[in-house]
Amino acid sequence: MGGELAHRLESRDDVAAVYGLDIEDPKVALDRTEFVHADTRHSLLTKLVRGLSVDTVVHCAVLTEGRAGARTVHETNVIGTMNLLAACSGADSPVRRVVVKSSVAVYGGEPYAPSYARESHEESAQTREFLANDLREMEQLVSDFQVRNGSTTVTLLRLGHRLGFQYPTPLGEYFLLSRVPTFHGFDPRLQLLHDDDAVEALYRAAAADHGGVFNVAGDGVLLLSQAIRLAGRRQLPVLLPFWRGLARAGLRATGYDLPASIADFLAYGCVVDIDLLEREFGWRPPHTTRETLLQFLGRGESEPLSTGPQEYELSQYLQRRRRLAAGSRRA
Amino acid sequence: MSELTSSEDQLRHQLGLLYTDVNAELRRRGLNGHRNGRRPARLRVPAPVPDVIEKAKAELPVLALQAVGELSLRLRQLTGRDVIDLATMMAIVQFLSRQVELANRGEAMEVDDFGFDQEWTESLLPIFRWVYRNYWRVETTGLEHVPAEGRALLVSNHAGVLPWDGSMIKTALLEEHPHPRHARALIAQFFFGLPYLSWFLRRTGQTVGHPDDSVRLLERDQLVLVFPEGVKGTGKPWRERYRLRRFGRGGYVQVALQAKAPIIPISVVGSEEIYPMLGDVGPVAKLIGFPYFPVTPLFPWLGLLGTVPLPSKWRIQFHRPIRTDLMGAEAADDQNLVMTVSDQVRDTIQQGLYDNLKLRRSVWF
Repeated sequence: MGGELAHRLESRDDVAAVYGLDIEDPKVALDRTEFVHADTRHSLLTKLVRGLSVDTVVHCAVLTEGRAGARTVHETNVIGTMNLLAACSGADSPVRRVVVKSSVAVYGGEPYAPSYARESHEESAQTREFLANDLREMEQLVSDFQVRNGSTTVTLLRLGHRLGFQYPTPLGEYFLLSRVPTFHGFDPRLQLLHDDDAVEALYRAAAADHGGVFNVAGDGVLLLSQAIRLAGRRQLPVLLPFWRGLARAGLRATGYDLPASIADFLAYGCVVDIDLLEREFGWRPPHTTRETLLQFLGRGESEPLSTGPQEYELSQYLQRRRRLAAGSRRA
Repeated sequence: MSELTSSEDQLRHQLGLLYTDVNAELRRRGLNGHRNGRRPARLRVPAPVPDVIEKAKAELPVLALQAVGELSLRLRQLTGRDVIDLATMMAIVQFLSRQVELANRGEAMEVDDFGFDQEWTESLLPIFRWVYRNYWRVETTGLEHVPAEGRALLVSNHAGVLPWDGSMIKTALLEEHPHPRHARALIAQFFFGLPYLSWFLRRTGQTVGHPDDSVRLLERDQLVLVFPEGVKGTGKPWRERYRLRRFGRGGYVQVALQAKAPIIPISVVGSEEIYPMLGDVGPVAKLIGFPYFPVTPLFPWLGLLGTVPLPSKWRIQFHRPIRTDLMGAEAADDQNLVMTVSDQVRDTIQQGLYDNLKLRRSVWF
């Protein structure tokens, strides 16, 4: 997602330079972006931010929907964000705008949230689910940062659940199963976010001052059973509604690893209110939940995912980068 | 007269022939084929369960017709009169085939943003109509106070362990109102974490008891039904029947003021007697995570049979609206006004309860 965003930012004339930072190679071919291989160590980040006099930081290295374990998620989401924000803070910091990616997973399950969760909705009960807890801790760090650095605009985007057009997320894979297992006795309302809209939201947040916390998700809802029917697949209501860990273990045995946060999503659903986003950004994600799912399925079936048109460009780009790196080391 | 009876006998005979034919046909297909004569390509995973379900769904109306027909014939032979008449038979079959039809809607199924499936909800009406008219013999007054269109907040007392009162208020609005309307009840958040129940509640138009939800529904000019007593009302013991509990913290008044919706108080009489709650086993309730665990004369002694509500006589009265819509949205911040209105609503409902109790000849009639 960061790569896509850099791609969008490159094309703007008023953006002087774009720097990318990741421990892995970018997944998108980039022209102008200076790519730095690094992790989120504090000393390094401070040097980078001040040395390059970065004025806008977009923090996408937040794990929200993968299969990472509890430890990795904590290290990345909480500790990584802590380091990054520390590097951006201080009176001498050149940073004027910080955009942090979060997820609607902070709301936890639907039963304790209103039908349309607003940004102000406070989750009273701590969930046992580590992702939601870590995201809440991360958001707390972000709001602390905002308090201490009043002159910096901080935008926190709670992105809806994505299916992953290029690389399907666990939820995307779920809808590609030939027979879709569901929890018996539940048929939740789902809300999805189109990948392009996620990038667009980050782009808009990076390009203008929109301070605050915002939900980002597609319009409209689909019942899980409707979604499965749209996918042309067969629903198997075989998972026990209680002890979801057991159901997950059973699924893992059949070859599909269902993350705990997605299991909660498939039992209770999660629908958020995006009026605040529209009021502040003057923009609503144009793809509805239904369109997102249909587009995802259309692509998922007709076009093999690994040989997208980007693939060739990307490999060329990575080769060029490696040559450059080798050259500079020799010199 | 005898001519009539003989023609009905003839009809019954024909019906019998019909279902023997259909039965034979089904049996024949069951041996060597699938419905519609085509067999879908088998996938790797055999799935016997859904196939059985599909098949049962398809055969349900015929099987039901058979069973009900058989039963009606037997009862007729036994008692010499019509216990189940043809009209009831046809109604049952119609209901079942409608259910099958709706279950096979596929992509045509539509729900609103809250997960409300209006078509399916209306298909359940025959059951609730029967309960409303024949079981509890509900007498409803004051329906003229409910507007034919536009928003309103319905506020009712809450009693009877299981929230049957909500279903009867909803049935009254669909059955007796000149412009049948769906009321959307607000339910304690706890129930939306339960399997099956959360599914049923959402599908029939209920939503979470959260101020955001009620304002959102009212702004769409819906009827919203709230029970400010909450589980404190349904879980009260038998000796305290028809005594209203605390009306929350007046949050529902704030909602009405915010959304500029009139408040219509409702008194329901009869719901207290459907499950006379003699005791509450706190530890068991705590163990299974429920707000209360009732002990009634029938439950838990008779198991599931104990959950059949008793046939008390019901009266529902809709009261004159309290025009909170004319007070202005900023009034929602006036705590004094909110509590005053809340007390007024509570008094109206309590007085209505006394009035209707007097009008009722006895608990059962």
